[in-house]
Amino acid sequence: MRATGRRPKRSPVWFSSVYLKTLRDFRVPILGWGLGLGFLMTAVFAAVPALLATPAARASIVALGPSFAWFADPIKIDTPGGYATWKYGLTVLVVALWPILAQSAMLRGEEERGTMDVLLSLPRGRFRVVIEKVAAMWSALVLMAVLVGLLAFAGARKSNVDISLVATIAYGLNLALISAVFGAIALLLAQFTSERRAAAGWTAGLLLVFVVLDMVHRVVPNTLWVSRLSPVYYFNLSKPLVPGYGFDAGAMVLLLGLSIVLSGIAVWLFVRRDIGGVVLTRRERPAVRAALPAGDWSLRSVYLRGLAMVAMPTVWWTLGIAGFAAWMVIVVKQTEAQLKSLLQGSALGGDILKAGGGDVATNTTILSLLFVFLPLMLMAFAVTQANRWAADEEDGRLEIVLSTPQSRLGVLLGRFAALTTATVTISVLTLATTSVASSITGIALDGGNLVAATLSMIPLGLLVAAIGYLLSGWLSAAVDTGLISFLLLIWFFISFLGPGLSWPDASLRLSAFYYYGAPLLHGVQPADLAVIVVAAAVALALGSYRFVRKDIAV
Amino acid sequence: MTAPIIEIDKLTKSYGGRRGIVDVSLQIREGEVFGFLGPNGAGKTTTIRILMALLRADRGAARVAGLDSWQKSVDIKRLIGYVPGEPSLDPNLTGGQLLEYFAHLRGGVDQSYLKQLIERLELDPGRKFRHYSTGNKRKVVLIQAFMHRPRVLILDEPTSGLDPLNQQEFDGMVREARDDGRTVFLSSHVLSEVEKTCTRVGIIRDGRLVRVGGVAELKDIKRYEITIHFAQPVPIETFAQLEGVAGVEKLANGSAVRLAMQGSADAVIKAAARYPVVSLTSYEPSLEDVFLRFYESDGKAPQEVAGVV
Repeated sequence: MRATGRRPKRSPVWFSSVYLKTLRDFRVPILGWGLGLGFLMTAVFAAVPALLATPAARASIVALGPSFAWFADPIKIDTPGGYATWKYGLTVLVVALWPILAQSAMLRGEEERGTMDVLLSLPRGRFRVVIEKVAAMWSALVLMAVLVGLLAFAGARKSNVDISLVATIAYGLNLALISAVFGAIALLLAQFTSERRAAAGWTAGLLLVFVVLDMVHRVVPNTLWVSRLSPVYYFNLSKPLVPGYGFDAGAMVLLLGLSIVLSGIAVWLFVRRDIGGVVLTRRERPAVRAALPAGDWSLRSVYLRGLAMVAMPTVWWTLGIAGFAAWMVIVVKQTEAQLKSLLQGSALGGDILKAGGGDVATNTTILSLLFVFLPLMLMAFAVTQANRWAADEEDGRLEIVLSTPQSRLGVLLGRFAALTTATVTISVLTLATTSVASSITGIALDGGNLVAATLSMIPLGLLVAAIGYLLSGWLSAAVDTGLISFLLLIWFFISFLGPGLSWPDASLRLSAFYYYGAPLLHGVQPADLAVIVVAAAVALALGSYRFVRKDIAV
Repeated sequence: MTAPIIEIDKLTKSYGGRRGIVDVSLQIREGEVFGFLGPNGAGKTTTIRILMALLRADRGAARVAGLDSWQKSVDIKRLIGYVPGEPSLDPNLTGGQLLEYFAHLRGGVDQSYLKQLIERLELDPGRKFRHYSTGNKRKVVLIQAFMHRPRVLILDEPTSGLDPLNQQEFDGMVREARDDGRTVFLSSHVLSEVEKTCTRVGIIRDGRLVRVGGVAELKDIKRYEITIHFAQPVPIETFAQLEGVAGVEKLANGSAVRLAMQGSADAVIKAAARYPVVSLTSYEPSLEDVFLRFYESDGKAPQEVAGVV
């Protein structure tokens, strides 16, 4: 009999197991991060040969190496692979953010949404479900690593850089391994937190701490044991792109073992605990019916409630940002001593560091280069808070707030004002911490410029938040967060790569960091600052306009 | 006759290409308890969320107390207590903190009345929202809707998740609101709840309002059943063409018939009298039956519901 009607659809193979479904969920990140990092390496290999074209240029780069040794080991940095490893070795750790977010949400996120109950109602054991999910994550990381390796190899070949495919694949796998470790930490911490956001925040904080721990032995003598506590140290032991250096198989096996052990503990805890519950439940305080009204300051307005919501993240981000700023001051103090001995009598070395008007004697030049990380971190904080706003709307948490006699504009501005307060607080505390650190270490910094460098981060943070608020008018929280994170990365790499690649000024102006400039050297540039302030105001105005007119939680 | 406090006029809303509601018109008088019935996806929540200015209508108008629900949303919300269909609140706050927060956003509430509501629904206000059961989460949301004694209560599936005892308590709260002259607009698919508490009912199907009327009127949509048992088999055709008979079903090998009736039973009684009748039973339609009938997916609205009763 001849079949009639529609042709049957293809078997949905991606929905035939938890493993494949999870892998399918990761398809965009695999491609996004894989292509992004792969093309980054391609761009680096395209640009670096020009930087190393002449003996003088190579000598300049080699001379710069010790001054940034705190950042990464300067090994064969007069070769494209060595230069790329030295300059971008730590920066690429940004790739670990994705497994941190994904694995903190892998189980906890499903529990928050209630979908885990449904999943576990199927005739599959918990162990199998979680193992399939973890296996999907590792598969995704391997795929991403291969993609990075292939693109890096293609980029190297195209630019006539002599690096083997084995080396680039090993580079990608090393990245995948360190990502797997941080993903496993996130998965483990998510067993102890009732929200995925908390697990992600803690793990991101640990990432920062481990990066700093890894730096310690390069700055402070006899502290190798401290750095060995950090997984980042073992990541840095492998430098497959550096000619003749290769990779440290032991370190890579250790990273693999660490991720297996941490994931194993997480799985062990998950299969034993209540779904929706946490390991080590805190005893809830007994009900106090007579406690109403509680008189809590944070319940008096949308602004104060927003402030309470952002308070704890602000504390942690302040510790991170202000702590990092203080650490930078200490690093510069160490570097100053090294540079003075290295560049004594070297006119070339002095010239190299005359970037933007500073020189080696002032320390300010180096510190200024490092300070670009501070607005980046503040902007990352703004991304998390913009995500929270978008998620609150998406999850219907604004529904009852908006059923009270509060205008939509008032609710949005109340929350944004709370975020602004947090941003200002972080910046002011960073200023205070940096001032204290510079006075303790004896590093002289221009007070006015230091104020400019810390406080002019505020408009950058608010710009990112305003863009996040604006995009949440159309996009889901996940897409909104992904887009502004991507925008942030693009901006950072434009400012990080662009000058080295001799990009035109018009291209560099596309990055918000361009307008931040080097305030530690030059103070506030009112025109540049105005650009950011106006852009933030326009984004907020458009976001407000959209929010007061849009359908809520649709 | 009192002026309508809620007026919905040809309200239309779509979500991209998907149907929301189409030309919904409705008036609810002050002091009424109005039940809004419909299956999942019929358009109940869309209508309510437009009233709450959470959605913007494509066409038509919605007014509360004469004020446009979109233009004057803040003024309207001073008058309203609202229970959303899928309540979601900050999981890290306790029930008590949430209630206090919403009380502040409303400019303050009578604390003794708030405590009374908490006692009445037996809510433990000291627990975090995330740790509440579904029913207790619903209690928090119900209390915040009632705590400021609003002039209008708009409740989307308010008793979903409540146990029978708390449902009874809720019924009592609605009756008290009605006795105070306040208006209640509640959506539900729990018909017994609507029968107990509502004075009028509207039925929405596929985004269109198909019927509005008093609860009693809806029950009297003419169609009911008569089952007649005879001492011997009777020809079924005898009844099929009679006035008022909408359908005939042969039972017990032809010695009994079940008749779907619409209108007077006079002709049926007279026809049945020609045969030896053993028993005759008439079955009054419950609201449940009426409800189900309006949801029959026959692809067209029943003729008798073209207008508003």
